[in-house]
Amino acid sequence: MSRIKTKFFGRGVHLDDKKSLSANCPIKALEAPSSVALSLQQHIGRPAVPIVSAGDSVKTGQLIARADGPVSANVYASVSGTVAGIEKRPNPRGGSTDCIVITGDGKDERVSLPPLEEITGETVRARIAEAGIVGMGGAGFPTAVKLSPKTPVDTLIVNAAECEPYLTCDYRLMIEKTDELVRGFELLALALGVKNIIVAVEKNKPEAIAKFDSYPQLGVAVLRKRYPMGSEKHLIYCCTGRKVPPGKLPADVGVVVQNVATAYAVYEAVEKNKPLYERVMTVSGEAVKTPANLLVRFGTGFGAVLDACGGAEESAAVYIDGGPMMGATLLSTDYNTRKTDSGLLVLDRRTAAIAQPTACIHCGRCAEACPMHLLPMDIDFYTLAGDYAMARDRGGVLNCIECGCCAYVCPANRALVQNIQMCKQKLREQA
Amino acid sequence: MEKVLVSDSPHIRGKRTTRGIMLDVLVALLPATVMGCVYFGSAAIVNIVVSIAAAVISELAFRLIKRENIKNILRDFDFTSVVTGLLLSLSLPPQTPWYVPLLSAIFAIVAVKMLFGGTGKNIVNPAITGRVFAFIAFQSVMVSGWLAPSIGAISPVVTTGASGTVSTGATELTSMLGGGELSVSLLDLFLGTGVAGSIGETCKLALLLGGVYLVVRKVIKWEYPVIYIAVTGLMAVFTNGCDFSYFLPSILSGGLFLGAIFMATDYVTSPHTRLGNWIYMAALGVVTGALRAATGIEVVSFAILLMNLLVPLINAYVRPRIFGAPSFAARIKTKIDEAKRKRAAKADKEEAK
Repeated sequence: MSRIKTKFFGRGVHLDDKKSLSANCPIKALEAPSSVALSLQQHIGRPAVPIVSAGDSVKTGQLIARADGPVSANVYASVSGTVAGIEKRPNPRGGSTDCIVITGDGKDERVSLPPLEEITGETVRARIAEAGIVGMGGAGFPTAVKLSPKTPVDTLIVNAAECEPYLTCDYRLMIEKTDELVRGFELLALALGVKNIIVAVEKNKPEAIAKFDSYPQLGVAVLRKRYPMGSEKHLIYCCTGRKVPPGKLPADVGVVVQNVATAYAVYEAVEKNKPLYERVMTVSGEAVKTPANLLVRFGTGFGAVLDACGGAEESAAVYIDGGPMMGATLLSTDYNTRKTDSGLLVLDRRTAAIAQPTACIHCGRCAEACPMHLLPMDIDFYTLAGDYAMARDRGGVLNCIECGCCAYVCPANRALVQNIQMCKQKLREQA
Repeated sequence: MEKVLVSDSPHIRGKRTTRGIMLDVLVALLPATVMGCVYFGSAAIVNIVVSIAAAVISELAFRLIKRENIKNILRDFDFTSVVTGLLLSLSLPPQTPWYVPLLSAIFAIVAVKMLFGGTGKNIVNPAITGRVFAFIAFQSVMVSGWLAPSIGAISPVVTTGASGTVSTGATELTSMLGGGELSVSLLDLFLGTGVAGSIGETCKLALLLGGVYLVVRKVIKWEYPVIYIAVTGLMAVFTNGCDFSYFLPSILSGGLFLGAIFMATDYVTSPHTRLGNWIYMAALGVVTGALRAATGIEVVSFAILLMNLLVPLINAYVRPRIFGAPSFAARIKTKIDEAKRKRAAKADKEEAK
């Protein structure tokens, strides 16, 4: 074992992590649902192109949509059955996307990818692209692209911080599948051509830290519990002391960051020849009857996932796709899970923040919490005044990581994140 | 699931609210308010009640005249006008007739706050501006006939000959600034016993308690009032030929504690960043010290009013460096390195020739 000396970025917020609700629930496979709707857009980039049509019969793990160009990802069938058609389905992040709907036959016949003849950096990268693996921490950036950086890289950091409250899916993987994960890390390092692997864990996960400590090939960085520790730029700073300059990528300072769940998917794709069609999801929150960590096939309805956990309590008020800080609110449970969905949370009226924004009193708490050292109150002001160029040039809005620390501490309940998102959207439209 | 609420990310929020912060400020002002009432009796109580009532009612009336929904008015009521009313009355002399706090509070709320857009939109601090308004509009009652506190000095300084009784002509600060001797001891100045002055400013112990409460509740940062008070004290030292015996009397007299702890730290009219606040507080100290030396009257409220107007300037220039951006020193270093590299390349070229 080797422990990495860590640094601390000094800002952010301290959150009650609420992980005890589901931390001790072992990963349980959810039964294959009778019908799935697989989005063609489960990643950043161009939507995948369907290669099946209505009436085709498919098996679990069969390629049904092909990546359209390098920044895109393959989609595989998550149940065996018949393709019912390609339909528009609502997307939790807004709007609707084309989905391949498959009616299951209950047989769950599986096909796997052909085994790799030899394991080299190149074949692993190709396999990662083939298996449709994307960043499963939430961003959904195609992993193979991230593994071919344009600048030389010397370090792989595995993001095991899991700093969002409630979520425990990565934690369960860490303590249940440690061997497999470590193999996944090695494969990622091989694909990158680096020797130095750092696993970054927040110190509120002592069991996971103890497990990783027994692997001599890993450097373990035990991080202070602070949100947003899992933010790429801050994680890199805490583990290596390097700062990613504004507008640059982690690879520019010689680092690539990958998520734990992504590493597990890589392990399965390379060693088990299994394409990406399911993932571990945390179902938690004060208003869930029995919180759980479930292995869920993509395309499963959120309603079915929730039903597997006994449904929601009477007090249920807010449904969230993802973590409570950066997740999206769900208007109903009629959405389908995707590669990037790490959690389904149901919060009660008392926990969920539903309050009208009041006037900004310029207390400066947002500026003190902002891990990117921005002045959110200024960006908010410029945005509401319609001066988006000012928000960009003076406020540095494009550096915002939308972690939500500013809005979390805001005593006036201002919708800072939403205004910042709107500002970025307007700037994109203007460009 | 029939009833679903839609929340914006982050879906969980901290417990701090504007209302809670304002209530904290009111709690912090409680000791000073109580001591003011003890020292100055019914005159103080009347002024405080009139001032708070006028502030609250004028805010509500303003919004009603604007034909805002009563529900919204009540929902938005955040106790800022109560704080303004209380602070204003504490900064007024106890002997002022009731119409002074009344008119000043209405001026503070309507002209200074509501006309600029309400909570958070005012450019200068309403309570301070209300006090300055009273000072200018009712000069005769503001600076004469200071009311003596009901509790006399514990340890009177015998230089004036009078024992235990208090000069009711002026506050200790005015006499000190006028070059006279203090008629009370430092302990009396600290406790406010036997000291004439505005209702809430004489008992420094009570103000200090309130300040500690605000720091503990993380409403203000301890450095802010400390910087202001210390710089003002040092200014008194320097303007009196580096005589350090002026330090304590100058910081313990007048409205410095009240201004530094409760008024200069007002969020709306102070800079956004910590560094900005340090600069602001130090500048306040310099301005206060200089004006005190130049005018010979108490100027804390004028100094704060003046500096309020410079806050946008501080906000424009004191901005944090974005995480990962090169520091000022690093930027200069890269420039120097670049220049060196260019020079070296030039030299190489010449050599090659």
